[in-house]
Amino acid sequence: MTRSFTLRLSLALLTAFLSVPEALAQQSDDDAALKLAEPDFTLIALPTALRLPKFGSAFRVTHRFRRALGSGDFGDLAADLFGIDSGAQIGLEYRFGIIPNGQIGIHRTSDRTTEFFAQYGVLRQGGWSPLEVIALGSIEGPDNFKDAKSPALGAIVSRRVGDVAAFYLEPIWVNNSNPLPKEVVDHNDTFMVGVGLRLRIRPTVYLVGEVSPRVSGYKQGVTHGAFAIEKRAGGHQFQLNFSNSFGTTLGQITRGPDGNNWYMGFNISRKFF
Amino acid sequence: MRIVASILTLLSCLSFVGCDQKLSTLAGPTPSLEPTFSSVQSQIFETTDTAGRQACINCHTNVGRNPSAGLNLTHAVAYDQIVNVPSSRKPGAIRVIPGDPENSYLVHKLEGRAGIVGARMPSGGPPYLTDGQILILKRWIALGAPRN
Repeated sequence: MTRSFTLRLSLALLTAFLSVPEALAQQSDDDAALKLAEPDFTLIALPTALRLPKFGSAFRVTHRFRRALGSGDFGDLAADLFGIDSGAQIGLEYRFGIIPNGQIGIHRTSDRTTEFFAQYGVLRQGGWSPLEVIALGSIEGPDNFKDAKSPALGAIVSRRVGDVAAFYLEPIWVNNSNPLPKEVVDHNDTFMVGVGLRLRIRPTVYLVGEVSPRVSGYKQGVTHGAFAIEKRAGGHQFQLNFSNSFGTTLGQITRGPDGNNWYMGFNISRKFF
Repeated sequence: MRIVASILTLLSCLSFVGCDQKLSTLAGPTPSLEPTFSSVQSQIFETTDTAGRQACINCHTNVGRNPSAGLNLTHAVAYDQIVNVPSSRKPGAIRVIPGDPENSYLVHKLEGRAGIVGARMPSGGPPYLTDGQILILKRWIALGAPRN
């Protein structure tokens, strides 16, 4: 994904984010109630500001097929059923609401990366506040959390627009983002600003997009980007997505993909509340 | 609130804990190799490592022989023989250019790049230096090749 495209998309989303009329803001503070503009805890890889009710939980499967959509000609791609015949990086995630406005969770991907995360709702959209603000922290480590750890701290700033859309800005700092030891690198952490949008185009159908430009620090590869279409069905969310990386943890997102290949994948999530 | 504050505090603390990848995993057969001259001298120039890669001073020494290519890498003189010193074999090439590992001829010889004069070093390889060992050596050069 080129830097100019990322910049233009980020500016467009930021403009939309700030220009939404206050009157359209949702004001429900019942965390168990369905928020039509924000039905899930993640966009594609980035987290959302959705709160989990106390003792509620949610499960998610992420799946990123490893065949690049641009590899070979269309016949090859079709013969491989657009990558479905290839291997995949799979992630399993479970989150739990431990207190009102607070949730913790674990996300493990099939490259043996394990991420623990926590989110806490600091500010709720509605009333005097035009924005939802969530504090988030995580720590992840490869090789089943036995190898070098990458902690992250950040915030999710979101704005829901009625039942139609939700915008996200996510400034996040990831330490030890560089896979090499700090003794041999110039930058060993990264500050990124995730930008995302979920748009409800039909009563239960959504378009989703996200990019994660790295503002400073380690910037290997290109900027993570993804888009998706998804269907809500009861407590389930089914998402078909296209992304330029396999990353689903904050560290993986920050490291960025090596090339500008695109891959097909899907997310399936289920709420238990 | 207190629980989550505790979790976030814990995560904050973890971010300052030494959880980086260990340099020794990169250094491979010379696990104590660091991006300093003294370490490069002792671990690369003067030591045959556990993988069988030969020490440079097996040939680049003035002890009992003339140093190969006129390059003496023994302890007392090695730094002054390589940093900002032209190659004796390749005109225009500088053995170590402080801050510029990619254009340092020592790196070209160790990586066996096209355009080098003579064989890839160390002579008699493989084994040669591993990618990790070369990366640490290049880091020392990138940091200005200090006499540390």
